[in-house]
Amino acid sequence: MKKTILFFMLLLACAVSAMAQTLDEAVHKLDNAASVKDYEALEKTFTALSAQQPDSWLPWYYAAYCNAKIGFLYQDDGDKIEPYSVKGEEQIGRAQALLDSAKQRQELSEVLTVASMVNRTKVFINPMTYGRKYGMLSEKYLQQALQLQPENPRALFVRAWVKYYTPKMWGGDKPLAKELAEKSLGLLAKDKSGTAPHWGKVENEALLAKFR
Amino acid sequence: MTKYLIWIFLPALMGNAHAQQTLKDSTGKALSDTVPRGTPKNLKLVTVSAGAFEASDKAKGASLTPMDAVTVAGSNGDLTQSLRSLPGVQQIGETEGLFVRGGTSDETKQFIDGTLFKYPNYPSVPGIPQGARINPFLFKGILFSSGGYSALYGQAMSSALILESVDLPEKSSASFYLFPANQGAGLQHLGKDNRSSFGLGLNYSNQTLYNALVPHVPDYFQGPSYLEGNANYRVKTGRSGMFKVYAVWNKSAVGMYNQDVDSAALRSGYLVKGGNIYTNMSYRTMLGKDWKMETGLAYSNNKDKRTVSLVDAAEKPATLPEVPPTLKNNTSDIRSNFAQTRVVFTRFLAGEQAVRIGAEHFYTKDAGVYRDSAVAQTDQLSAVFAESDIYLTSGLAARVGLRLEHTSLLAKWSLSPRASLAWRLSDESQLNFAYGLFYQEPQNEFLYRNRDLSLSRAAHYVVNYTRRAHNRFLRVEAYYKQYQDLIRLLPPDVKSVSTGNGYAKGLELFYRDKKTFKNLDYWITYTYLDTRRDYLNYPMSLRPPFAAPHTMTIAVKKFFPDLSTGVNVSYALAAGRPYYNIRYSDGWQLADQGTTKPYSIVNLHISHLMTLFPRWKHKDFSGFAVGVNNLLGTKQVFGYNYSYDGQHKMAVSLPANRTFFVGFFMSLGIDRTDDFLNNNL
Repeated sequence: MKKTILFFMLLLACAVSAMAQTLDEAVHKLDNAASVKDYEALEKTFTALSAQQPDSWLPWYYAAYCNAKIGFLYQDDGDKIEPYSVKGEEQIGRAQALLDSAKQRQELSEVLTVASMVNRTKVFINPMTYGRKYGMLSEKYLQQALQLQPENPRALFVRAWVKYYTPKMWGGDKPLAKELAEKSLGLLAKDKSGTAPHWGKVENEALLAKFR
Repeated sequence: MTKYLIWIFLPALMGNAHAQQTLKDSTGKALSDTVPRGTPKNLKLVTVSAGAFEASDKAKGASLTPMDAVTVAGSNGDLTQSLRSLPGVQQIGETEGLFVRGGTSDETKQFIDGTLFKYPNYPSVPGIPQGARINPFLFKGILFSSGGYSALYGQAMSSALILESVDLPEKSSASFYLFPANQGAGLQHLGKDNRSSFGLGLNYSNQTLYNALVPHVPDYFQGPSYLEGNANYRVKTGRSGMFKVYAVWNKSAVGMYNQDVDSAALRSGYLVKGGNIYTNMSYRTMLGKDWKMETGLAYSNNKDKRTVSLVDAAEKPATLPEVPPTLKNNTSDIRSNFAQTRVVFTRFLAGEQAVRIGAEHFYTKDAGVYRDSAVAQTDQLSAVFAESDIYLTSGLAARVGLRLEHTSLLAKWSLSPRASLAWRLSDESQLNFAYGLFYQEPQNEFLYRNRDLSLSRAAHYVVNYTRRAHNRFLRVEAYYKQYQDLIRLLPPDVKSVSTGNGYAKGLELFYRDKKTFKNLDYWITYTYLDTRRDYLNYPMSLRPPFAAPHTMTIAVKKFFPDLSTGVNVSYALAAGRPYYNIRYSDGWQLADQGTTKPYSIVNLHISHLMTLFPRWKHKDFSGFAVGVNNLLGTKQVFGYNYSYDGQHKMAVSLPANRTFFVGFFMSLGIDRTDDFLNNNL
């Protein structure tokens, strides 16, 4: 009997330690994430972390970011995106609610950047019908993000991405996209690692690779 | 008829261009409802879909949007024409309407916000399809059911086209277009508080100039001309209410001479003048948290005046001694009044389940002259219906319904059970089943002479498989349909009876792919149809002349973002259709029969969008459109008309081998970006 209890306690301890990945570890993992599976697993981790750190905006921010990334990976599969977009939208809203918008301008800029990405994923569901509404919302959040922090490398990357993929007649500008991505990359070099948002290197490099 | 053509290019191009763009306009309301009711959070619910093609503004991936449906090349902005690019519909080049799965066009009914749209097309003219009376861009949702549709609708044996009109426009706008044969202008105004809007439109089409330039067969002595005016008003009431009024008025005239089939020296004249008013009022609201109410009121007044004549070379009346004179010279003048009232209550239950109950009443009065005989009839048709959406598990859903109808004209009751079942096989694929009984009153031309008839009836059995993934959509559907109590004509002087019957069975494929090629969207369909009927004057069970056994269609849309240019091509290929000469001598006899050559048609549309006045505060969206229908000039034969003595036959073909159009259009969106940014930043 004692042995059984011990065994279960051990099992429980293992389970807890598996779940109780620190935010540090999860963010480190996120730096190397690439597939939908990776992001799905990390999204679960971040959601779990949000329960442990109810006052921190970062777990919600990262959970929403994972959902946005899944949306971008599913860009050509409109049928699959919606549940991720909807979750991402809710999560980024929670992150924003935890911020003091008067003082935490830099953090708010990061949150709005991801909000812009989440709305962009809604456009992918069916650009023809969702494009008008969510494209506009996505642009609005991005503008707000850049207004709060003009040198936010992640907001600059999203701007570069949009400029690259928008038809010329509607304001698309490929040379500007390149310029913005390079600027973003330059600014990222100064970013610290740790738990603060610092993603963007891989994304910028992928976009710049299209110019070669 | 390129009446609504304009509306195709503008939104289509804008839609395309919006694909991945930063938007320049704004809607304040967008913020308030970013998570609509019923948006799935984690779980993907199965949806009941056997038998239907849904084109919705909520379409995901490669599912159809209303824009996709109406921008098929060759559709001329006519919704029913464009739906011919979907499987199950026959390629019938000589008349308008939808011939679905062995059914006549009369077996397909259109419904707008729940109410019957009784006269969707301009009055028909022999040999030349007539256009729609309504702008297809009024609709945000198009549900085209080719079988097994819901108990909420009735009086259509084959198919229901269920249309849902837009609520409020996204912004105010004004537009006009100028095609040599068609001109029009429209206005949509959105109220400042984003809670109400009104719109006006005027369209005029006159083919006289075009027909003078492009050689064609009929010699028109009047028109073709079509004039249409429309108005709408929409307002949000309370938290969840929406009230909409739509009215359209139109007038048309087509008069033409064709070579007479009985005499080389004479010509037969056909003059049709149409006038129509249609109004539709609808109101929907939530009643508390769990109930929804939808009401509708429709009224339509239709005038249809036809004169058939026989003239000589000097356009003087002529007769042929061997042919009964009433066959060559007659007049019809029918005025119809139609009104409908309808109410549907929905009770939402746990887990997306719902129960709907409702009732409706149709009043129809037709009076006037039909082929020189005075006719009058009034019909009061009442219906009650109930339907339930049941989720047995998250992967298994059922929709079951029952519809009870009574018609005063035939003094008959009918009870129609309907059921469909959807079974989700995986995240991407689904298997569906549908069954239903569908009753329909005989057509007026039979009822005018004889009311001792039954309702005609069709039973549908449908099985369907769909797979949606990676912006691709595959749909396979097989069905069996059985017709009973169809009209059978007895010797010319004896009353018709309801003893005809028939069947249809077939297999249909639809594949759409938006992914493989960038900025290229295409779909391919194949329709196999095996149908026979023993009805009207058929001496035996025959394949009806509107049924081709094999049909293939391809619709391709390519957009070049850097050129702001869209190219749409459509192709349809159908096996030959049967034709018959049925004569009466000691019973109906098949005097002659044959099969037409296959039908093959390519249509091309090119449109280019630009901004002429980029510095204007309300930047314009303008463009040119050019197009050719039957690009290759293929000679088409749809069937044959036989002379009275049965000795000669004359092919029914296109009035001209190719149809061309070119035009200019401009839209001014009343841009409010500045207010929006100032208010929200």
